[in-house]
Amino acid sequence: MDRSLSRPLSALYQLSIPFVVALLCVMFSMLPLGLSSGVVIAPSFALMAVYYWGLYRPDLMPPFTVFLVGLFQDLMSGGPLGLWSLVYLAVYGVVVSQRLFFIGKAFLAIWFGFGVMALVAGTISWVVSCLYFGMVLSPLSVLVLALLSFVLYPVAARFFAAVQNQFLIQP
Amino acid sequence: MRHRLGQADRITVPFRMLSHRFSMAVMLIISCALLLFGRAEAYVFDDARTKTVEIMAPVMELFSAPLSLFRNWLGNFDDYFDVYEKNRQLREENNRLLAWKTRALRLEQVAIRYQDLLGVQLEPEITYISGRVVSDSGGPFVHTMIINTGRKQGVTEGQAVVDRQGFIGRVVGTGREASRILLISDLNSRVPVLVESSHDRAVMTGDNTSRPNLEFLSDNAEIKAGDRVVTSGSGGMLPPGLPIGVAVQAGDGKFRVQPFANQARAAYVRVLRYEFPKEIELETDEEVVTKTLSVELPPQPPALPEPEPSPAEPQAQPLPPTESQPQVTTGEPIQVLPLGEPDEPLGDDDG
Repeated sequence: MDRSLSRPLSALYQLSIPFVVALLCVMFSMLPLGLSSGVVIAPSFALMAVYYWGLYRPDLMPPFTVFLVGLFQDLMSGGPLGLWSLVYLAVYGVVVSQRLFFIGKAFLAIWFGFGVMALVAGTISWVVSCLYFGMVLSPLSVLVLALLSFVLYPVAARFFAAVQNQFLIQP
Repeated sequence: MRHRLGQADRITVPFRMLSHRFSMAVMLIISCALLLFGRAEAYVFDDARTKTVEIMAPVMELFSAPLSLFRNWLGNFDDYFDVYEKNRQLREENNRLLAWKTRALRLEQVAIRYQDLLGVQLEPEITYISGRVVSDSGGPFVHTMIINTGRKQGVTEGQAVVDRQGFIGRVVGTGREASRILLISDLNSRVPVLVESSHDRAVMTGDNTSRPNLEFLSDNAEIKAGDRVVTSGSGGMLPPGLPIGVAVQAGDGKFRVQPFANQARAAYVRVLRYEFPKEIELETDEEVVTKTLSVELPPQPPALPEPEPSPAEPQAQPLPPTESQPQVTTGEPIQVLPLGEPDEPLGDDDG
């Protein structure tokens, strides 16, 4: 009796951890740090979260969660709704399909893989935005975003790993 | 046990993969549908956006509160390096500004007199609501900001937002205690502006860069780099005369605006409450003509006496009665902008 109840609860708890972490990542990217000048370009921590969980625990981050994370970012930013859901889903799809290649590889390979995915994410968001706004936008801001995200990925990955070890039961 | 699980896995894995692909496809389709629908009917999701901001602003505020400390520290850290140089600069600037103050007070008197003579409708006074920035990044293609003041404090959509240096954007969405600001660098930002020295009008359009474009300048515009650009107030959306920045010439020969405000560093902003004159008295052509004539009729406009170099009380001097505009409050000099960075605009003239 007790067990039958605790199992779905535990599953829900396990599912909620990566989701909450990803939502926090979205918010963290939007915090007014005041470090840059001119136009704000923040690294996408949510992209790192999607990449990380897609790679290590896709069972705990189903496409639905990825979609919601993107939707949350779109609602918060006030931009086109569906843009970041689409970008994160695309990245997630690629990562999940390639995870057997990555699993067991050195961190450097995974980091490099993230760099490629950051560029993919930047390209998709740039193309979709160009279509959405009906004009050719400068790709500079997404390049900066991809670069910043790439540089900061090891820090975020360490944090995600700590969360994973602390709160989640290994499969 | 282990054997049973393995068997279960063998059955469920293909199913799970199928379900994964299916849900992946569904979510991708929903995302695309949202994009297409949002493109066609942009306003549909406004409520959802406002609600999100309303709910999330307190959370963001909680997270960003410790940041103020960090930002202050960072700001102070910067200051330590150039404290002597800054001090010297400020002294010099102060001397310059004192001279300017005298001149400004004199000119204010002159302006009031002219306004009275011409029967100018004075601008209503601007009040402001201060707010703290709780979120400052909308992503690479959207430049918005969320502040922690909303409808409860009297913020409404369309109001202008300034920081210490100048205009940074306007309110596009209001929640109860949070608002979203569309920054001047955003793609959707269109601000009617006036180039102060040449009186050329233009529309400042954001293009994701820190220097918005000046568009629809007339061909014979006499704009030059370094000219101050202010809001023109055309279209009745924004109060006129808010300083935005200076005109700069880009590589392609087009003019852009280098804003005074640094939107990435803005920690506190002010939302300007500005009542537009609602009732516009329609004048017939004859009335306009007679009015114009009556202004031009006196062969010699009354010579303006030079006011004292330092009139401590600008209101002390008796003003001519204002017959045409009895409702105008002449006692209080209008405050077109409560803020302003006098450094740059004055520095040029002083040069």
